[in-house]
Amino acid sequence: MVRTTLYLIAGILLGLLIHLVVILTLPGLASNNVATRLAAIGQLNKTVLLADVTPGAPNPLRLDPNVVYAMCRLDLSSGPGELAGTLPLAFWSVSVYDKSGTVLYSTTNRDGIGQTLDLGIFDQGQTRLLAEQKIDVADGLLIVESNSDQVYVVVRLAPEQPVMRDRYKAQLARLGCHNIKI
Amino acid sequence: MRFLLNLMLMLVVALAIGFGLSWYALTDGRLLGATQVGPWTAWPRAGSPDPDPYTRAYLARNGALQLGRSEGVQFIATSDSDGQPLNRACRYRIDGNTSTATFWTLVPTTADGATIARADGPAGFESNRIARANDGSMQLYVSKTLAPLNWLEITGDGPFWLVLTLYDTTVFSGVSTTDTTLPSIIREAC
Repeated sequence: MVRTTLYLIAGILLGLLIHLVVILTLPGLASNNVATRLAAIGQLNKTVLLADVTPGAPNPLRLDPNVVYAMCRLDLSSGPGELAGTLPLAFWSVSVYDKSGTVLYSTTNRDGIGQTLDLGIFDQGQTRLLAEQKIDVADGLLIVESNSDQVYVVVRLAPEQPVMRDRYKAQLARLGCHNIKI
Repeated sequence: MRFLLNLMLMLVVALAIGFGLSWYALTDGRLLGATQVGPWTAWPRAGSPDPDPYTRAYLARNGALQLGRSEGVQFIATSDSDGQPLNRACRYRIDGNTSTATFWTLVPTTADGATIARADGPAGFESNRIARANDGSMQLYVSKTLAPLNWLEITGDGPFWLVLTLYDTTVFSGVSTTDTTLPSIIREAC
């Protein structure tokens, strides 16, 4: 009986170990995380609109059907990235995802940015050059430091009325997505 | 023989606990990374730059485009306020208020994220386009059959989820510990 109890306790401990291994290795093993899905949609240095949610159709990214989305994929190894343009007065927000799908930075237009979006994304080396004033950037550039060179910037824009969707999508598509020349 | 039986017992317990606990952590997850408010569940650290290991594993498994921390918080309900799983054969009243947010959307979906509202109508409710009571509270109906006030017609059969997304919200921001008000989901008729 004592021996069986010991085996049971060993089983519980081994189970906890398996649990830890599963939880810690899953992010590295998952092949369909958000970054993989965004990489499949986006072209480098190009603003791409994410397709509208079709009623009844699969929605793997679980997009909100009331919101329009634009995505800009950047490779910082060829220079800092920039996403810039003017957006409508409606609510919009912007978030930067790294290659593992973690949100590095996010903000909304309620944070005093107004209608103009000018976001610069720098890797650690470029941030250091920026601090040493070896890179010139325009005034008002919102600076985000990234821990990886592959980043995905997603802009969410919420039309107040469905009739505004097409106009807002056209405005999103005009956002500039490129590397800053240094 | 006894040794083999004990070994088998140990392995069965280890596998059941190891994979069972992992499955629980990444689906329900209430005791680990997720937070429950009434029938609503959210992963508050999903939009953070340094999510905890459970949230990281949940995001990897889920593959959804999660909101950044300052953009908002998404809540999912798979059951009503009495704990009964949501079913499209029933009529549900979503009753009450939400926490402070610039705006919110409430969308019924299947477990894989597909919307289930009538194809030629809106996919869900939006805070700017609903009728409210004088005190600002709301009564939203989700059902296949006609309902009063704010009604969203859904289609199909089987279980469904309600996805409530609060944009630019004070929930989990630490501004106020009491500011996690979410509506109840009341099953009215099946």
